[in-house]
Amino acid sequence: MTQPLLEISNLHVAINGTEILHGINLTVNAGEVHAIMGTNGSGKSTLTKVIAGHPDYVVTSGDIKLRGVSILEQEPEDRARAGVFLAFQYPVEVPGVSNMYFLRTALNAHRKHRGQPELSGAEFLALVKEKARLVDIDAGLLNRSVNEGFSGGEKKRNEILQCACWNRHWRSWMKPTAAWTSMP
Amino acid sequence: MAQNESIQALTEQEYKHGWVTHIDADQVPAGLSEDVVRLISGKKNEPEWLLQWRLRAYRHWLTMKEPTWQKPHYPKIDYQSVIYYSAPKPKKELSSLDEVDPELLATFEKLGISLDEQKRLSGVATNVAVDVVFDSVSVKTTFQEELKKAGIIFCSFSEAVHNHPELVKKYLGTVVPFTDNFFATLNSAVFSDGSFCYIPKGVRCPMELSTYFRINSAGTGQFERTLLIADEGSHVSYLEGCTAPSRDENQLHAAVVELVALKGSTIKYSTVQNWYPGDKDGKGGVYNFVTKRGMAEQDAKLSWTQVETGSAITWKYPSCILKGDNSVGEFYSVAMTRDYQQADTGTKMIHIGRNTKSTIISKGISAGHGDQTYRGQVKILKSATGARNFSACDSLLLGDKCGAHTVPYIESNNAGAVIEHEASTSKISDEQIFFLRQRGLSEEDAVNLIVNGFCKDVLSELPMEFAVEAQKLLGLKLEGAVG
Repeated sequence: MTQPLLEISNLHVAINGTEILHGINLTVNAGEVHAIMGTNGSGKSTLTKVIAGHPDYVVTSGDIKLRGVSILEQEPEDRARAGVFLAFQYPVEVPGVSNMYFLRTALNAHRKHRGQPELSGAEFLALVKEKARLVDIDAGLLNRSVNEGFSGGEKKRNEILQCACWNRHWRSWMKPTAAWTSMP
Repeated sequence: MAQNESIQALTEQEYKHGWVTHIDADQVPAGLSEDVVRLISGKKNEPEWLLQWRLRAYRHWLTMKEPTWQKPHYPKIDYQSVIYYSAPKPKKELSSLDEVDPELLATFEKLGISLDEQKRLSGVATNVAVDVVFDSVSVKTTFQEELKKAGIIFCSFSEAVHNHPELVKKYLGTVVPFTDNFFATLNSAVFSDGSFCYIPKGVRCPMELSTYFRINSAGTGQFERTLLIADEGSHVSYLEGCTAPSRDENQLHAAVVELVALKGSTIKYSTVQNWYPGDKDGKGGVYNFVTKRGMAEQDAKLSWTQVETGSAITWKYPSCILKGDNSVGEFYSVAMTRDYQQADTGTKMIHIGRNTKSTIISKGISAGHGDQTYRGQVKILKSATGARNFSACDSLLLGDKCGAHTVPYIESNNAGAVIEHEASTSKISDEQIFFLRQRGLSEEDAVNLIVNGFCKDVLSELPMEFAVEAQKLLGLKLEGAVG
C-alpha cells in the first residue's frame, strides 16, 4: 500500500479557547481530487487554514501528516515549501510589490528549499510566460502590485498562477470557492 | 499577540558600524566660547572674514533658545561638555597631501567606501566621486582631477575656503543664514569641515558626487557644512552617507546643507543616514539636528531624497525655497524608527515664484517603541500664482508599541494655488504575513517585502547604487536573530 499524500486523523482545533473542529478524519491519496462541502460555518475554511498553519488556530489533539510526516510543528512557510498550497478566498494585496518580483522571490524560496539554484532573469521570465498562458492571465497583471486593483476573477487566476509556478505536480490543496465555477 | 512579539524580534538587530578606529586625535578642549571658535578657525588657517562670520554666529547663538516644539524628548544637552573639534592625527609624517593615513583608509574600506580611484565599482556604469569626512576634517576627495576637466569643483569645505574664497564668500549663508535657527547658528559658529561643490554653467556632472561622514572620537560633536552650487543650466546628483560607533553617551551632530540652484539647473540630493541609533533600551545614539535647505531660481529643480534609519533623535526638514518662476521642489523620504528611536522629520516648500510646483512623498515606518512625526510646511506666497503642491504622507506601524504622527502646516495666500494632501496610517496585517509565508517566504522576508513595497515610491528616486544599499539597510534593520 502506498503512503497517503495527506492524512488527517481525529483533528480537534480551537480558536480563542473555543473548539471549532471536533475530530476530523480525512485521507487523500496522490492523484485524488476531494471536494469538501458543508453549510456556512461548518469549518471548511478553518480546516484549510489549519492545514496551512495559520497562527490563530490551536490544534488541541489529532494529527496532520503530509507524506507520512506530521506537519503540526512546522511553520507555515515550511509546509508551503513541502507542497501545501492554500488558494485564498480573499487573496491579500501587497502594495508596491510587483507581482513579478513576488513570484520570483517566492519561487526562489521554494527552489532554495529543494536545493536547486535560483533561476536567472531570463529563465524565470520564460517560466512565468508559459504558466501565465496556461492559466490565461493577462500579462499586464504581472507588472502590477500583487493583487492590488485586481478583479475578483483576476485574483483567483493569480492564485493559480502562483501555485503553477512552484508546485511541480499540482498536488496541492485548493480552497473551494464559488468563483471556481466561472473558471474555464 | 504572538505576531507582535515576532515582529518585534525581527526589528531588533545589532548596529553594524558600531566599531571604533583607534587613532590619535588633535582635539580642542571640551566646551564652547569665543576662544574655541577662534581656535577652530585658527586650526584651519581661515581668513579674517570667515572668523568674523563665525563670531557673529556665536554671539547670536548666545541669545537663542533651544527649540522645544518638536515631538522627540531628550535630556538637556550640556553644550559645554561637547568637544567641538577633533581631527585624526597621522601616525607618521605623510609624504604628500594626497596621501591618507592607512588607518583611515582601512576604516573607510571597512565601511565599504573605497578611496582608491583605480577601484571603480565593478559592473556599475556610473562612477562615484567621494569626499570622506572623519570627525571634524575631510580626509580625502577622490576623482578631483577628472572632475576638474569638466570645470567642476568638488573638495572639502576647508579647501574651498582657501582655493575658491570668492565662491564661498558669495554663497555661504545665503540659503541658511547664520541667524536661522538654534542648531544652524551653532553650526555656523563651530563648523569644522564638510563638502563644497560647484558645477559650472551648462555642465552635466559626469559622475555621482558623494560625501561620507564618520563620527569616531568619543565626546565629540560633528558639525559639518555642505555648500553646493549648480550654475545656470547645470545638473548634479549628490549623495551622502553617515555612520558612527556605538557609544553609551549621546553624541551631537548638527549639520547645515545649503543648495543653490541657479536658473535652469537641477540638484538631486540623496541621503542615507545611518548614525548610531542607540542600543535596544534607548541608551546612547546620535542626536541628529540638521538644517538642509535649497534655493531654486527660475526653471530650476531641487530634489531631496532621504532614507533615515539611524540616530536616537532625528530632527530634520530638508526644504525648498521656490523663488524663481516655474521652479520645482521635491521631497521623498523614508524614515524608520525602531527600539527607542525618535524622528521628527519632514520638509518645507516655500512657493514664491509663479507656476512653482512641489511634491512631497513621505513614508514613515515605526517598530518597537519607535516614534515618529512627519512635520511639513507648504507655504504659498501671494506672488506664487499657479502654484501647485501634492503631499502624501504614509505611516506603517509594526507592532503595537510604536507611534506615528502627521503634522502638516499648509498656508496659502494665493487663491489660485492648488494644494493636495493625503495621509494614511496602516499596520502590517497578520493576514499579509500569513499569505506570504503560505507562499514559501520566511516571516522575516515577508516583513521585508511588505516594507520594501511600502517604500518603493521613495527608493525608486535614489540613484541605482544607493537604492540597493538603502534596500539592504532597511532589510538589515528589520533582520532578526535568525540565520
